[in-house]
Amino acid sequence: MGHKDEERLLSSHLSFIGKTLSVFTHEVKNHLAILKESVGLIGDLVEMGKISSKEEISETLKIIQSIDNQIGKTSWFCSRLNRFGHRMDNLLSTFNVNEAIEDLSELLNRLANQKRITFQRDFDEDIPPIYSSPAQFQLLVFRIVEKNLQRIDQGGAIVFKTGYTKDSITIDIIPEGNLIEFNEEVIRNDDICEHIVKRLGGDISSAAGDGKVAITLPLSYPASSGDIRQTVTPK
Amino acid sequence: MNKTKVLVVDDGVEFASTLAERLQLRGYDATAVYCAEDTFAAVKSEPPDVILLDLKMPGMSGIEILMTVRTFAPDIYVILLTGHMDIEKEIEGIRLDNFDYIMKPVDIKELTVKIDKAAEKRKLGRE
Repeated sequence: MGHKDEERLLSSHLSFIGKTLSVFTHEVKNHLAILKESVGLIGDLVEMGKISSKEEISETLKIIQSIDNQIGKTSWFCSRLNRFGHRMDNLLSTFNVNEAIEDLSELLNRLANQKRITFQRDFDEDIPPIYSSPAQFQLLVFRIVEKNLQRIDQGGAIVFKTGYTKDSITIDIIPEGNLIEFNEEVIRNDDICEHIVKRLGGDISSAAGDGKVAITLPLSYPASSGDIRQTVTPK
Repeated sequence: MNKTKVLVVDDGVEFASTLAERLQLRGYDATAVYCAEDTFAAVKSEPPDVILLDLKMPGMSGIEILMTVRTFAPDIYVILLTGHMDIEKEIEGIRLDNFDYIMKPVDIKELTVKIDKAAEKRKLGRE
């Protein structure tokens, strides 16, 4: 990979992180907005002296329960981002691809939801962990998801299917529904995806007809790929 | 004196219904709907004075809903609810009259000031 390619990969990664963070913060602000309204409603009821009867107390307890649920949801969502951040701590580590896909899809749910597209998982639960770059793997999945979000019509879905063989794992990303702009070459010609897969010692292909993208990755990062820790030094 | 009619539009059911309840407690005739289709139906059957509209809705954005509503109810005042810091970028190039926005999480006092101003403008526009 040349210097220019490395720069493009870096800028693509920064864009990916930026988009993920903006979706995440938007989601958290929505959770906070619900909390603020619920707390505000209790304040209103107390201030207006509307919590005295048994029914009113019961209604207030329901609001308090809803606040508790909302805090739980927000905390769960924050832990997804926390894991997303920690996946970048080490350029190479042992990780489970099901979990990496799940974290990413949870963070991007809102983006898909706006287009009324859902993420579906068809995971092989026995898939072995791989030693690779989790951050680059998530960037790879993100780029394919992003392209699919552009070409699947409302009401469609993106299916993540995982599996494994003796020395590799497979990840299929399958668009379902009406494909607005169907061009299977669009993924194959994405050189960033190709670079990432090559670097991770794997293979990527897109099937004719159904738009499915199939990724194969080795269980272990290949020594022949060189030191992934080499970074671009801006000139 | 007639109550100001407010329609809260947000796909977050809990948020929209709680906000509508808080507005009712403050004397507004507020109701909540949670999707674009119900918004159009509500505006056609009982036009509100002010719509509080979430900017990011599934399927159809708040701006698209706003533009559609304006085709059959041009003088309704709309306050966009947004969690986005770059609201100016979102509405860039779109000419919007009778329009305001407020950031989520919402400050209820700030919101009621905006609603009252909007209702007043609408009343003056009718006279």
